[in-house]
Amino acid sequence: MSVTSVARADDATVARLSGPTAGPLRATLLLAQWQLRRQAQFMPLLVVVQVFMAVATVVGYGLLVGDPDPTTALYLATGAPTITLITVGLVMTPQMVAQARTEGSLDWMRTLPVPRWAFLAADLTVWTLIALPGMVLGVFTGVLRFHVDLSPAPWLVPGALAVSLVSAAVGYAMASLLPPQVAMLITQALVFIVLLFSPVSYPSERMPQWLQTAHDWLPIEPMAQVVRSGLAHDTFTMPLRSVVLLVVWGVAAVVGAAAALRRRA
Amino acid sequence: MATAMLSIRGLRKTYRGRNGARANDGIDLDVAPGTVVGLLGHNGAGKTTLVNQVVGIVRPDEGTIRVDGVDAVARPDLARALVSVQAQANVPITGLTPRRAVELVGRIRGGELAEVRARTAALLESLDLMQWADTPAQKVSGGVARLTAFAMTTVVPGRLVVLDEPTNDVDPVRRRLLWQHIRSLADDGAAVLLVTHNVREAERVVDHLAVLDQGRVVAAGTPADLAADVRGSLSVELDLANGWREFPAALGDVAVIGQRAVAQVAAADAAAVVAWAQENVESGHLERYALVPASLEDVYVQLVGPERTATVGDDDGPAAADESSTGGTATGGAATGATGSAATGSTATGRAATGQPSTGRAATGQPSTEQEDPR
Repeated sequence: MSVTSVARADDATVARLSGPTAGPLRATLLLAQWQLRRQAQFMPLLVVVQVFMAVATVVGYGLLVGDPDPTTALYLATGAPTITLITVGLVMTPQMVAQARTEGSLDWMRTLPVPRWAFLAADLTVWTLIALPGMVLGVFTGVLRFHVDLSPAPWLVPGALAVSLVSAAVGYAMASLLPPQVAMLITQALVFIVLLFSPVSYPSERMPQWLQTAHDWLPIEPMAQVVRSGLAHDTFTMPLRSVVLLVVWGVAAVVGAAAALRRRA
Repeated sequence: MATAMLSIRGLRKTYRGRNGARANDGIDLDVAPGTVVGLLGHNGAGKTTLVNQVVGIVRPDEGTIRVDGVDAVARPDLARALVSVQAQANVPITGLTPRRAVELVGRIRGGELAEVRARTAALLESLDLMQWADTPAQKVSGGVARLTAFAMTTVVPGRLVVLDEPTNDVDPVRRRLLWQHIRSLADDGAAVLLVTHNVREAERVVDHLAVLDQGRVVAAGTPADLAADVRGSLSVELDLANGWREFPAALGDVAVIGQRAVAQVAAADAAAVVAWAQENVESGHLERYALVPASLEDVYVQLVGPERTATVGDDDGPAAADESSTGGTATGGAATGATGSAATGSTATGRAATGQPSTGRAATGQPSTEQEDPR
């Protein structure tokens, strides 16, 4: 047996390498780098999908409603970026997490000497950032199509980040807590719910009462309100109740996802 | 093993909803620093369940797991800092290159950038992976992915290294390099728990073996201890010409599967059996024959029973270089090597070329009744 061909670490290297593991923050950044690089190959496709989403909601809805009045136009123009922003978190994030669970990579990652919350922090960072280019595209498409005047609020950027984070957290929690196949099915349904049956691109008064009541407790309407009032600060306001609702959803989702990551079979 | 790095006592785990099947049913196991302990067992014997409990992915129902004295059931986070694991399923690393993946894991495991880079390059070099080091992972073969996973596990090895089927999909030449690495991990001081059903190759590397069947350790000891019963006995393998089934009394119980027959013979009868077999090759009753020392694999098959062992021989022979020697006759070395396990490797060669690698071996130790292919 030829020993020389084997990469042998000397004792000192082994001792040093086997010492304390990377600090939690460093581990989080390295994990985020791992996930981002793994997603990088899909980024062009992701951007194309986001462009389609933006065009579908802006141009497609424009076709449906004809020549909209200014308020309707503003709803449509601000709805497009919301939809591209939150479908990444609510649809694509759970699909990726469900896939990672099915193919076993999540279980392997869980054998690494890294705190459980670091996985969540890394993944949420990645998915929060991935959603942003689509949102910007959505804003431009909306403004170009409907010639609306936007009045951005000073908190637009942090607001959009918060919406992206909460939707990614909700998606992550959904995919972590539910069986992967169920999570996949829900994401399919969510595409239509967000596109058509949520008060994102139109006011909630148009929906039947029972749907309005449901949206009083779901996180989608508050998310739309953040983006809408963030982009058209002069026309729309952000109700305090919606802020609280969004925070509650965000915290509950993070707690649920963290619990799922800690869970042992 | 006074100071075990991994010490498992009375480990029990029953999964809910799977007919209450006990995956682990009272397992005791120790792995000392500097040793390789092989955990053998067929699919579903409870090997992966055992591994998953050590790193806190599965919670035991009963029993204790200590890693370097740390209670791994109560503090899986502390245990994980001491353990590195190569999972049974390949970790998907699409989007990354082997080099990038190994380096990132090394740094996540706490290695410094320069050291991790150097060690990654050395590992990829010595596993003969340099030509794929910077190829996107979606373009590399299963064997390269498997070796990359091994490098990811050992670039910054834990004090306990758990390898779950590391040789799957790996070609024979690189598999030899892999076995050397596994051995040197232990020689460098790590405790290595090697989960495998590649019995033939593992027996040359491991210091101790535990055979798992239906969640229980049914045998444990050094390879020599376990093989003691069959020492001095030989295994004869015959490829039968169509329909021919006449065996001499010296063969005892013959297990026949399709065109292949396997039997045990005493070393004293070996010469007579060779003469008989050679005669029948010449007369066209036998396509080929081989006489090999009864190995640990034969013991293993006897222990866990033949029905579920179709995977045992999944290996395609120890080395490509040996495949050229697969002729119609047993070599003299095969017979004389009966008492030395060193001969096992070079005499196992015929099966790679036969095209039915697992069935004949699975039948070893069966009564002489004919049986269908267990698969």
